[in-house]
Amino acid sequence: MSGAPDRDLLAAEHVLGTLEGDEAREAARLLRDDPAFAAAVRVWEARLAPLADIVAPVAPPPELWDRIVAATGSATVVPLSLRRRLRIWQASTGIALAIAASLAAFVVLRPVPAPRVAVLAPLSGGVPVLLATAEPNGTLSVRPNGTIAVPGDRDLELWALAAGETRPRSLGVLPATGRQLVAALPPGTQLLVSLEPRGGSPTGQPTGPVLYGGRLTATD
Amino acid sequence: MSDNPSLGIAARGDDTALLLRRCAAGDRGAFRMLYDRWGGRLHGIALRITRQTSLAADATQDAFVQIWQQAHRFDPDRGSAEAFLVSLVRYRALDLMRRHSREVPGYEPDEREDETPDALSRLVTTAEGAALHRCLGTLDAERRRLVVLAFVEGLSHSELAQRLRVPLGTVKSWIRRSLLSLRECLAS
Repeated sequence: MSGAPDRDLLAAEHVLGTLEGDEAREAARLLRDDPAFAAAVRVWEARLAPLADIVAPVAPPPELWDRIVAATGSATVVPLSLRRRLRIWQASTGIALAIAASLAAFVVLRPVPAPRVAVLAPLSGGVPVLLATAEPNGTLSVRPNGTIAVPGDRDLELWALAAGETRPRSLGVLPATGRQLVAALPPGTQLLVSLEPRGGSPTGQPTGPVLYGGRLTATD
Repeated sequence: MSDNPSLGIAARGDDTALLLRRCAAGDRGAFRMLYDRWGGRLHGIALRITRQTSLAADATQDAFVQIWQQAHRFDPDRGSAEAFLVSLVRYRALDLMRRHSREVPGYEPDEREDETPDALSRLVTTAEGAALHRCLGTLDAERRRLVVLAFVEGLSHSELAQRLRVPLGTVKSWIRRSLLSLRECLAS
């Protein structure tokens, strides 16, 4: 056990970023060679990461996304682990063909997961104002049914209220022209839209009136 | 496409993990959504550490390239998505900053702001943040300031000693004791 507590502190200091010289090199070496040290680093990263919430966001330079796209290439990158699995797969072509044939039958027989939709209308009743579609892959599209007028000093904010929950979770500001986002929404989730100050609710919960709502239901 | 900036990160954690999984599967659309959601936060973190706009942009760029290339390494059982993203940009920023001198700061944030109750109260928007906030509160003010300065500004042991005009050995032992206290408090 000797050295273990020191190792954990070294992991903590590595995450904090205060190490220099020999200690920094030692931490880098352990991170590479010692899985237990790497695991301790992960634990400290999780412990200290909330401190990053203190830092105010700053918009990156506008050209940065293009640089990232150029640096990652536009082609789809297949992760290494998947490539390895593909190689094993390719190595046994005969078996692969048989499995592929049975998989094809499976794919045909299995019902394709259907998207769920919600029609968002004023809670007091009235014509639908927004249509939301939740795809099985987690994409949520919210589209207006006509023009929505939002006062200049206000924003609409979209909320998800899971079945049985009492506090909605923000899905962010909703432009009047609609929006696409990714969200894990369990069946029976209600979508709500509230009127908030510019930039969204300052409290993390709706502060203005809830204008529209609707429940996500399966389409089949 | 802007999200509500006042929300804590864990409120969107599930979605960030989902986006990372989709990046690992090669989904460029998910990568763009991750950038829209996290670009400003990660760039803000990089800027506080490097204090130079161009170095910060490099760190943010490198972090997103790594996010795209290493998304398949993210394991939700071993850590949160936000810790994964925050750590990537911090290590990049620390590395770039220590290779360059920080003598010509081009960006001067108001650093006193970090220790105000209001700044630290931003932590309580998530369960993990609330626990850390509570445990930071058990440290005395000077030591809390040391940990926050180290994390947010990326200061090394000797830079902290200079900044606070305290001997290097004292800084090291304060940091270690603070980290031990935090570990104990967070485990309880």
